[in-house]
Amino acid sequence: MLGKLLKYDLKWIYKVLIVFYTLAFIFSIIGRVFSMIENSVVFSVTTQITLGLAISMMISSLINCLMRLWARFIRNGYKDESYLTHTLPVKKKTIYASKVLTAFISIFTTTIVIVACLFICYYSKSNMQILKSLLELAASTYNTTVLKLLLLVFFVVFLEMMFVVLIGYVGIILGHKSNQNKMIKTIIISFALYFLTQAFTLGCIYIFGLFNSNVMNLINTTDIVDIDAIRDIMYMGIGIYTLYIIFYYILGKKQFEKGVNID
Amino acid sequence: MELLECKHLYKEFDNKPILKDINLSIPKGKIIGLLGKNGTGKSTLIKLFNDLLIPTSGEILINGEKPGIKSKELISYLPERTYLDKEMTIKQVIHYFEEFYQNFDTQKAKKLLKDLNLDINKKISKMSKGMQEKLQLILVMSRDAKLYILDEPLGGVDPATRDYILDTILSNFSEGASVIISTHLISDIERILDEVIFIDKGQIVLTSSADELRNKEKSSIDEIFRRYFKC
Repeated sequence: MLGKLLKYDLKWIYKVLIVFYTLAFIFSIIGRVFSMIENSVVFSVTTQITLGLAISMMISSLINCLMRLWARFIRNGYKDESYLTHTLPVKKKTIYASKVLTAFISIFTTTIVIVACLFICYYSKSNMQILKSLLELAASTYNTTVLKLLLLVFFVVFLEMMFVVLIGYVGIILGHKSNQNKMIKTIIISFALYFLTQAFTLGCIYIFGLFNSNVMNLINTTDIVDIDAIRDIMYMGIGIYTLYIIFYYILGKKQFEKGVNID
Repeated sequence: MELLECKHLYKEFDNKPILKDINLSIPKGKIIGLLGKNGTGKSTLIKLFNDLLIPTSGEILINGEKPGIKSKELISYLPERTYLDKEMTIKQVIHYFEEFYQNFDTQKAKKLLKDLNLDINKKISKMSKGMQEKLQLILVMSRDAKLYILDEPLGGVDPATRDYILDTILSNFSEGASVIISTHLISDIERILDEVIFIDKGQIVLTSSADELRNKEKSSIDEIFRRYFKC
């Protein structure tokens, strides 16, 4: 049943996302083609406009991805369509798992599309050389390779996005448990959870600092940033975000399994 | 074993009681009218049967089990509102039902749709509300279910459509299955009812065989209902 639910959830999400992906690719390619034509003010202006449009389509893909994930969850779980969703012979935890997997897949593809479009827009030997030297500098500072550094950044961004989506899901579930002002409560709960979790993260960093003088120096002094401390915090952040995602997944699943109160 | 049983069922919203101590048994093979004025708790009770609400206390058993996957296989539910994804076509909706409900009879659904002259490639959003409701009824009645729960199937429709709805219900429910029809439009459905349940202010005030009640009170169910719920 999970596969069937996933199929319909992905179809719904990608119906619009595909349009943004296509537009992002089209504008990236047009911008790139125009940028290769030299000595023309018209083409130079057109290049800037199309590249600007390409960037806006990339941002729209990301925003739309998040918004559609939440909208789908509300429509399927708590609005008119919920009368069908919750009367299907499917466990509630399967419905929830499908939503989380849809988020995982769509955020992943959106990130890939953005990276690919940026590559189309700005790839050149000189740009790559500059990027490579910058990345090599950063990589050597972090005592790692360029590839690992890129994967690390991709992973952190991906985890942060998943974390935001799951906070939204939990906010929707808890907000819709009450009988009035469900949307307002959803927004308040989501923001409250987000800020509480971030405050908790700062607390964890402080506790970590009690055992790590480099990290404590970063918190207490205005000394030059210690690369070791940043690296330690980054690795700790990955661990903490992974734990948050697991925690919010379990919390959302447990709350969703308790049942719903449909208007 | 009864098809559906409620034991001391309560439902509150914000500490306001909506259903109070509901005790109910639905036998197999009957058409039951769940009758009451607007806002008396009919839809709330039906939502509880369908796992769309959490009871405040009490128990619901469907074929001896709490609402869950098994009960959802047994119950075919028609809600008051249109619940289909409006971006889908009729063909896609049929495929959706086919995929999720093992007891969905695609041929029956297609035949009923053909009778309505509905193009299966039509998008739900392009259909009138009335047509969407008819489509939902067809989908619900095309399942080989043990219990059909129809919430206000006649609400807000013209007399000709009411006849179509009643005919579709009567000629399509599975043999041995029970049908619960919730409505306040008694006169239209009283001819098909085997049993009646009167609900008022969140409580069941009367349960009886339709014929016995008619003979005892020497009047139609509609007249009895009007007497019971006189403002």
